[in-house]
Amino acid sequence: MAQLNYRTINIDVLDPDSSINFPMDTLLPATLPEPTSSNAAATVATQVRQLLRGGDPEGALRYVLDTAPLGGDDRAKEVHQAAVIEVLQGIRQSEMSRVLEGVCAGQGASERADCLMKYLYKGMAAAPSSSGSKSVSPQSTGGFSQIQARNLGEGGGGQQMSVLLNWHEKLVEVAGTGSIVRVMTDRRTV
Amino acid sequence: MAAPEAHHLFHNPIADHSFSTDKTTLAVARDSSVELYRRSGNKFSLTDELKGHEKTVTGVDIAPNSGRIVTCSQDRNAYVWEQTPSGWKPTLVLLRINRAATFVRWSPSEQKFAVGSGARVIAVCYFEEENDWWISKHLKKPIRSTITTLAWHPNSVLLAAGSTDSHARVFSSFIKGVDTRPEPSAWGERLPFNTICGEYLNDSAGWIHGLSFSPSGNALAFTGHDSSITVVYPSAPEQPPRAMLNITTRFLPFNSLIWKDENEIIAAGHDCEPYLLRGDESGWQLTGTIENKAGPGAGNAREESALHMFRQMDLKGQTQADTQLQTTHQNTISTVRVFEAANGAVRKFSTSGVDGRVVIWTI
Repeated sequence: MAQLNYRTINIDVLDPDSSINFPMDTLLPATLPEPTSSNAAATVATQVRQLLRGGDPEGALRYVLDTAPLGGDDRAKEVHQAAVIEVLQGIRQSEMSRVLEGVCAGQGASERADCLMKYLYKGMAAAPSSSGSKSVSPQSTGGFSQIQARNLGEGGGGQQMSVLLNWHEKLVEVAGTGSIVRVMTDRRTV
Repeated sequence: MAAPEAHHLFHNPIADHSFSTDKTTLAVARDSSVELYRRSGNKFSLTDELKGHEKTVTGVDIAPNSGRIVTCSQDRNAYVWEQTPSGWKPTLVLLRINRAATFVRWSPSEQKFAVGSGARVIAVCYFEEENDWWISKHLKKPIRSTITTLAWHPNSVLLAAGSTDSHARVFSSFIKGVDTRPEPSAWGERLPFNTICGEYLNDSAGWIHGLSFSPSGNALAFTGHDSSITVVYPSAPEQPPRAMLNITTRFLPFNSLIWKDENEIIAAGHDCEPYLLRGDESGWQLTGTIENKAGPGAGNAREESALHMFRQMDLKGQTQADTQLQTTHQNTISTVRVFEAANGAVRKFSTSGVDGRVVIWTI
């Protein structure tokens, strides 16, 4: 029999009561939308770009937040995330407050605000798109899949970061600290 | 609204507090003991200490009629304390749990009490005359994580439990020979022990901090770490609820909530002050804070002379010492309880928190 190094066995995996064996899908509500593919996300991105070019940033942001692929796969989420960042970067700083007030009003306003907050945190956590694949060694974080490698704000990422931070400041004024707390608890990740 | 009556008891967190029916005795959980305070004039003074637990006491509850006190602790034990001429006498209750006990409440009938625990069970305890001891029965299925809070239905059979698996559940804790058969309600008709009468998860899935049945028992409200409050109106047994309303707030999470009456809820937590919500089956809204901060805030503003300002800048590098919160509580509120109710509406409620204060509020 081969030598077994008992010290290297992760006993938590073998314990059904252990927290790593907690069924995370039990935290997903029944109202979760149907899974979407990356193709659908790409279609949304085109439509959003059209709205943005048509001079309707508020409509673009509203649309992109309403179509967030909460039940989609990683690829769909990535494509959608890029579309959201594009919209956020496409809105001038002077227009931010006005657009945000428009988006955070009407039916489903609090969902949209929470969704935007998720994208802001995801954007800040993700490596900048310019240096694409140069991400820090991937670590399994177990529970919190929204927290990824940290963006240290170098190069092209710095500008994106400052846009996100500006949006964050404005959004906290509108949606409060409760919105930040919900980013941490919500299992419907973006 | 009259000014809140604040009692700063000590500089330790208060895990839980409970008043006796005549409101002269106050029990607070402090570290590994429970302290009993007696009202003299408008102050509370320490009269007794219930020592017996070895670890942090997590829950304390005084039965309104019998005056018995039940306590539970992280040492996995619960004690029932009875007053005798020679002092308070504890009786150990075997909970049969291998993790900390987190929460305890007497049922309205005072025949039973329920203990939540980290062992993913709720121990429902009742007294057995024949053997002269407390027996515990476990509610187990389908709890997946630690029970953080419990609330009894007025009929003493239904028990609501909130858990760190983000679900609020309603169980039947019917025990033959102790309980009388409850009236059929929207929660269920036949209710053997461990019947699941409802299991609720809200969209943003925060772990549950507090929950409560409405005075009639026909609605359940719960709050979690997602800074939201969810109100559930059940329709019929085995049916989806008639309405499940989620109110997301812009504040930090709430820890505890009570119903003021059928249409109003009081919730408090990490924002250190109580808030009022109003609504019915068609919708709920947060109406605002209960605390009137203009009063005490204006009183605190001291003389602001130029000399004072420069002295502060010299000493502390800032013009104003802003170490004090504007609120009565100076830290997180952990428990909200009904203090006085009349005709199904709460007139006064009490809160306790991490700052060692117990505050009585008049609405």
